[in-house]
Amino acid sequence: MTTSIQKTLAERYTTAFWVKAEMNRLNPHPPSGHCYPELVEKRDGRIIAEINANLWKDDYQRINRRFLQVLKEPLKNGITILLLGKIAYDPLYGLRLRIIDIDPAYSLGELEREKLETIDRLKKEGIYAANRSLTMPLLPKRIAIISVETSKGYSDFIQTLAGNDWGYQFFHMLFPAILQGERSPASIIRQLRRIRTVLTHFDAVAIIRGGGGEVGLTCYNDYSLTREIALFPVPVITGIGHSTNETVSEMVAFRNAITPTDLADYLLQCFHNYAVPLQKASEQLTDWALRIMRDEKTILLHAGRYFRSATGHLLTKRQHEMDRSIRTLRQETTGQVRSKRQELDWARQKFTDRLASFFQNGRRELVYMERTTALLDPQKVLQRGYSITQHAGRLVSGVADLKEGDMVTTTLADGTITSIINQIDKGDGV
Amino acid sequence: MKEQQNKEQPNYKDAFEELQAIIAEIEGGAIGVDQLSEKVKRAALLISICRDKLTTTEGDVNRILKELEATDALPEEDD
Repeated sequence: MTTSIQKTLAERYTTAFWVKAEMNRLNPHPPSGHCYPELVEKRDGRIIAEINANLWKDDYQRINRRFLQVLKEPLKNGITILLLGKIAYDPLYGLRLRIIDIDPAYSLGELEREKLETIDRLKKEGIYAANRSLTMPLLPKRIAIISVETSKGYSDFIQTLAGNDWGYQFFHMLFPAILQGERSPASIIRQLRRIRTVLTHFDAVAIIRGGGGEVGLTCYNDYSLTREIALFPVPVITGIGHSTNETVSEMVAFRNAITPTDLADYLLQCFHNYAVPLQKASEQLTDWALRIMRDEKTILLHAGRYFRSATGHLLTKRQHEMDRSIRTLRQETTGQVRSKRQELDWARQKFTDRLASFFQNGRRELVYMERTTALLDPQKVLQRGYSITQHAGRLVSGVADLKEGDMVTTTLADGTITSIINQIDKGDGV
Repeated sequence: MKEQQNKEQPNYKDAFEELQAIIAEIEGGAIGVDQLSEKVKRAALLISICRDKLTTTEGDVNRILKELEATDALPEEDD
């Protein structure tokens, strides 16, 4: 019967054909160099078909070489392939698909598509730029390193940091992980989560790989890993060491450098950015302080000089003014005194003159009065024929005081008469 | 992190920013002789703080390892 199956199948499947499948497991067999791949077809994540295949040593080596060339990845588990195969039935080994060739371009396209899907998904979830939008501390001094202790990349990185010429000091601690191949995403994620628990001790996380060649980088497009990096609360920086297209991990990382050494240089640059202005500030400060002191000193000196000259000048000026004032004062007062004295002399003269005329007038009046007085002398009046009549010792000036029979005495110039009134006539006077 | 810095001494970021501010002030000619000596003294202190930060190490592996022990003892999460 087995011979019949073998014959039927050989007749039915005479030629090789191209078929699409997923390499569920490659199953290499190192002693022989052959592989016994387990191929599946998946729909919505579930396996709907499965077939075992043979990949002979020579075919495997040839195909793997081309994969490394085109994809930068070896033929490995989980990869989608387009293969050229031939169905064969062996009575001893059963039904098998012999893989003659695999098209690396197709797988490359598939990987690229997966990569784009990861990017798309991160963007849709709004976390693609999350890590990149964090702020790097001014001095990223404390670095958690995810790497392999024995790798060249790790030693390049820490040597560049430690051997810097400026004495910058970093603190770093290694969180060892697998950095290549299928197991690396889980391994890196595990270390990222460990770092999260001691996050207060670190300013940034550096994922360092190097010395592993350009292959096995597809793992850095893994969705879970890229998500973990994007959402990491401190900057994640990568130095994965390759020159081909950036992986998604590098795209979402805060900063990506091509090599670990470049990444270390980036950190040193951060320190420079801090140190250079510091140095400049220190120099400028001394400069300014000196200059300001010098300027102030000059200003002070000038002010002093100016003050001295200005005050001297002012003093002289005031002295002159004073002298002039004194002179004017003296002149003025002398004039005034002179004029006052003149006024005084004049007044005195006037006074003397007045006095003389006063006395003259007085004397004139006196003479006049003397003359008048002389006219009024009773003796003289009597001589001129007037008499004075007295009654009872009193002067008689009218008839009212007298009555007939009264005795009156009449004084004349040369004697007196005593008479008795005979008759009184009241007249109207003289 | 910032919260854990010694409160008496400004952290390197604040020190750096304060220093820049003083420099700008002096550069702008806004500082008189009276304040100058004060400012220069302050700036010199800030510079020395900042310089120290460049050349000293912070972090203690042993302490971190001790803190990690607690975490590592927990059963591992499934990815």
